[in-house]
Amino acid sequence: MQTTFIKPVLGVYTALFLLFLYGPFVVLGILSFQIGPNGGPQFPIIEWSTYWYQHVFGLTPPSRIAPLPIYEGLARSLTLAFMTMIVSTVLGVMSAQAFRTKFKGSDVVFYLIVLGMMVPGVLVGLGLALVANSVGIDRTWWSTAFVLHVVYTFPFAFLVMLAIFNRFDPSVEEAAWSLGVSPIKTFRKVTFPLIFPGVLSAMLFAFTLSYDEFSRTLFASGRDLTLPLAIYGTFSIEIHPNIFAFGVLTTLFSFALLAVYAILMTVSLRRAKRLAIQEDA
Amino acid sequence: MDYDLQLINVGKVYDNGTPAVIDFNLDVKKGEFIAFLGPSGCGKTTTLRMIAGFEDITSGDVLVRGLRINDMPPEQRPSSMIFQNYALFPHMSVRKNVGYGLDVKGMPRAERDNKVDRILDKLGLMDIADSLTHKLSGGQRQRIALARGLVVEPDILLLDEPLGALDANLRKAIQAELKLLQRNLGITFVFVTHAQSEALTLSDRIVVMNQGKIEQISAPAELYTRPNTAFVAQFIGRNTIFDGTVLDETNEQVRVETEFGIFTGTPNKNPAVGIQAKIVIPSESLEIHPVGRASSAQLANEYSGNVLTGIMERADVIGHLVQMAITLDGGTSVLLEGHVEKYRRDDLKPRSEVLISWQPDNATVIGA
Repeated sequence: MQTTFIKPVLGVYTALFLLFLYGPFVVLGILSFQIGPNGGPQFPIIEWSTYWYQHVFGLTPPSRIAPLPIYEGLARSLTLAFMTMIVSTVLGVMSAQAFRTKFKGSDVVFYLIVLGMMVPGVLVGLGLALVANSVGIDRTWWSTAFVLHVVYTFPFAFLVMLAIFNRFDPSVEEAAWSLGVSPIKTFRKVTFPLIFPGVLSAMLFAFTLSYDEFSRTLFASGRDLTLPLAIYGTFSIEIHPNIFAFGVLTTLFSFALLAVYAILMTVSLRRAKRLAIQEDA
Repeated sequence: MDYDLQLINVGKVYDNGTPAVIDFNLDVKKGEFIAFLGPSGCGKTTTLRMIAGFEDITSGDVLVRGLRINDMPPEQRPSSMIFQNYALFPHMSVRKNVGYGLDVKGMPRAERDNKVDRILDKLGLMDIADSLTHKLSGGQRQRIALARGLVVEPDILLLDEPLGALDANLRKAIQAELKLLQRNLGITFVFVTHAQSEALTLSDRIVVMNQGKIEQISAPAELYTRPNTAFVAQFIGRNTIFDGTVLDETNEQVRVETEFGIFTGTPNKNPAVGIQAKIVIPSESLEIHPVGRASSAQLANEYSGNVLTGIMERADVIGHLVQMAITLDGGTSVLLEGHVEKYRRDDLKPRSEVLISWQPDNATVIGA
């Protein structure tokens, strides 16, 4: 009796979830196929065309609509996300490794790290801008903004790695030590291959969070804009469907990133499964 | 005397102040098979991990071949350890698992391959040398762990409940292999287990531990027949234990006065007359006689007064053994065990009155 009631509720819930998750993207996707250059970002679709995609790549004849001023921003955001991903993941793995043994004040340090993802971004960004100004440091996307991106994404990488180490069987490391393998070599050759799925997840988190970070970057990045700031900048003039076409393309890029992640994950999860079977026996 | 392993007043206190191991003293000769036996939480694994270097030693010294190793990191210690869950490297093949310890020592490839092949062959792992470990059975994985630990030629092999995860039949088979292997190699084994049968079968000497302390260190036969303490008497075998007071001592035997009567046994030390004592009677030393077949007086004469009357409640056949529960006059229950052939007789019916007796040689008197 209960299941007959719960099933439709869960069905509606799932439908709503999918609607809110993909609805905006679908609307964006449809509108990006509007006719150009005179079609606007609204329904109905006057005529289907790929004009705005050509416009994004600069393949259309010159018109009154200027090309999107976002290509430098894209390059910056990708570079910044890559740098952030590397630094945050390294820090995350190292600090999670440190937390495997309880040390004095570990609770305090834990909350200090996690605070980085809790504090309001706009305030941190503004605060850092003020500090930078008063000590006379130039604000750029690769210095001040980069620091804030690491402070923001490092806790995510840390928490992912903490969860991974929580389920890690330390006797595998002890076995290596007792065979005469030094702790550093044990970490490289035994521990790291086994925690690699977690490292991948931490990297994905750090990359995507940095790639579309807005509030911290707003004040901390200075004159040269990152991609989210550049896109926001275009809204203040007039919105054309070319921004939607770009949105579709960048979402496809995210999916590609996810696909790479999924492939790497499957490969290393097969390893992890071996470990799990070994533990169960 | 040269010892492979010495533990001198070794103690372990955890950070929160709980003592885990108290004043542990042990000398192990080269090639000896030592078992640490005790209930879980008795400190046996902690002691093993202190020898391996995975736990800090709070007090005392651990010496391997005369060299103090207290402050040596695990990778430099001349021991290797076998884990209950095998702890194989899941991302390496069997051959790589086994050869890894030699790899990191920088051994030339030809020599390494030679050694790995020899140990794989010895343990019957040649057929699966190139498989990944997760596809293999528990017994195979345990053998891989053994090969990996032995190939580096440790002075001492430490084994932490290595057979605990195997099913009963496989455990028996690997026990025999392990014993043979240890005899052939002549390497000192220190083996932690909570299963008394395993310790009694495999080891040269057994260290029985309880609540962080050593209760007794003895060879298996000695441990089984002459327990030193009440704990050992309860933990090893299936003994009937009566509390009493030592009455007198004659011809290396003592008489103990209990609530069931005065009984004679063999003291394992020299219990002073008048002290509180326990008389420990192994279940397989008890003889049973139907009332009517033998008289109490006759048996008392034959068994130095070690006779009791009771009711035989039930007899269960457990494989090759018969287990009988006998209720004494006071209501205390006593367990008797014997070979099934010996008790294939018609005159022992459940609920019948019986006499039980035992020889003074078979009973041990220990100070309480």
